[in-house]
Amino acid sequence: MAQSNFDRRRINGPEESYQPIFEPDEEVDSRWKPGTPRKGRGARDIRPIFLQAGLVNQANGSAYIETEKTKIACAVYGPRQSKTTVYNEKGRLNVEVKFAPFSCTRRRVPIRDAEDRSVAVQIQQALTSAVRLELLPKSTIDIFVTIIENDGIEGCIAAGSVAASVALADAGIEMLGLVASCSAAVVGEEIWMDPTEQEGHIASGSLVYAGMPALGTITNLWQSGSMTPEQAIQCMEACQECCADIHAVMAQALLETAQNT
Amino acid sequence: MAAQLVSKSERAYIQASLQATPPLRGDGRGLLDFRTVLLETGVAPLANGSAKLNIGKMPHEGGGGTEVLAATKLEVEDVESGDGIDGGRVVCSVSCSPSAYPHLTSNALDELQHDLTVILQQTIGHPSLHPQNLTIIPRKKSWLLNLDAVILADAGNAVDALFMAARAALWDTKVPRTRAVEYQAPEDSRTTRDSASAMDVDNREAIPAASGFDTREMVRTAADFELPDYWDEGEVLHGRERWPVCVTLNLLPPSHFLDATPSEEASVPLRMHLMFSFASPSAPKLQSMRLLGPGELDSAQIKSYISEGEKYARELFNALETKLREEDVRRNVKARDRFAQR
Repeated sequence: MAQSNFDRRRINGPEESYQPIFEPDEEVDSRWKPGTPRKGRGARDIRPIFLQAGLVNQANGSAYIETEKTKIACAVYGPRQSKTTVYNEKGRLNVEVKFAPFSCTRRRVPIRDAEDRSVAVQIQQALTSAVRLELLPKSTIDIFVTIIENDGIEGCIAAGSVAASVALADAGIEMLGLVASCSAAVVGEEIWMDPTEQEGHIASGSLVYAGMPALGTITNLWQSGSMTPEQAIQCMEACQECCADIHAVMAQALLETAQNT
Repeated sequence: MAAQLVSKSERAYIQASLQATPPLRGDGRGLLDFRTVLLETGVAPLANGSAKLNIGKMPHEGGGGTEVLAATKLEVEDVESGDGIDGGRVVCSVSCSPSAYPHLTSNALDELQHDLTVILQQTIGHPSLHPQNLTIIPRKKSWLLNLDAVILADAGNAVDALFMAARAALWDTKVPRTRAVEYQAPEDSRTTRDSASAMDVDNREAIPAASGFDTREMVRTAADFELPDYWDEGEVLHGRERWPVCVTLNLLPPSHFLDATPSEEASVPLRMHLMFSFASPSAPKLQSMRLLGPGELDSAQIKSYISEGEKYARELFNALETKLREEDVRRNVKARDRFAQR
């Protein structure tokens, strides 16, 4: 009987496993040199988005978003009664994020860990100002985001915010506007929108932006890495333009769901 | 960050006085005035670098203020078999003393600790700030720099205090000098090697015709390292001019203010943390930016906050630099003089 890795609560796989041998990939990724243009898309192009609402029947509202390799499902339960006895005059927004164990290159533990919480805090920051919580006293809205495949943490945060916003709209919760979100990275001297994980590693700095294009306001701004303030402002403006396009995609997805039901 | 409970009327009162002309704050400061900042380096003798920082200590009342203690400790990591990365790595952690936040449950305290750790780690652990001298033996052994900060008391503006203390501790950090050595088993006997019998290049006699001056051979086969001088504290950590300073702008559109007290933080929950690095004074770099709290802004406001934040950060940076150099002088030159005159 195996001693240390025997987890009684789960079905364990075989003790030893080997990767199947595939044909090696054609693109052997040599070191990226500054000045090399982006592979596969333009510098300011975001990955194409597939967005559909109404995926999970059990939940009040749900959405599924897929952008090339990032796949996220989101379910909203609420507004339902707060479990706490403390009186809240405004409703509470509770966001829980979970990375599936197979979502990243290295397996993630099934228990909630530190990175889950930081993504959840960002999504909550993006959505809190948009939802009309003052109409829902003593209530909680639970948003559960499951990341099925992760290609770039900034992309996950952005896609998660978009999915959560569509799910909230699908649940019929009143909001001031739809929240659109996207990310940008400074690579060399250029600004690349919507970086993948590999592009995130070669970037010197990255930025995640969330806002309501309908009102022209910003709800979440997260920047990390070395960039000049002017570059940060350029990233922000580029994100703002992309968010207007993402907003159109979100509205279209909601319209289709409403027409089909 | 952990807002103390404040009633609606108190919140309205504080907001109204901040937006009045002229703006009024509880302790009579201006909107952009910081409280007194006290800094001392070298407070933890067992650590490789340490600093204690206090914002807003009131000398007449004998205490108070936000107090943060930061210390760095270097550990050796194995690159091949352990967690090490070639080039070393930097790991930050923040712990909040329960006495600083008596009104929080342990879960809430854990979450606060985690949020502060994430802010510190994402900014300081970013590859663009990585110091170059954390390698011991290339591809074999490297240093792990642990930066641990403890919040001993919180009277508002804990994030600024954290970053200032972290910068001071990193400034104060000395990396021990190491020298690579190679083991060579003696050819005639089977005695087991022990660590004290490491032999230098010059002592080897059984090598086939390789020049003793060829030190490239040494680097390739170096298996371990030693400290040439046990009592030498080492060289300073590289890249010390790049470590960022943080300035927190508490936002109450159309105005903003710095260095909030706990009741002001609770009344104005929307804030922006800006971390600037002044490695070259003419071209400051924005290392990190966080918008926290319920509220929306438009892009013109954000641009003005970034440019104002840069000015405040520059003043903070200059003041911190002056103080750190003073501390260096106090601990080294003046201490030697005092010892010589004893």
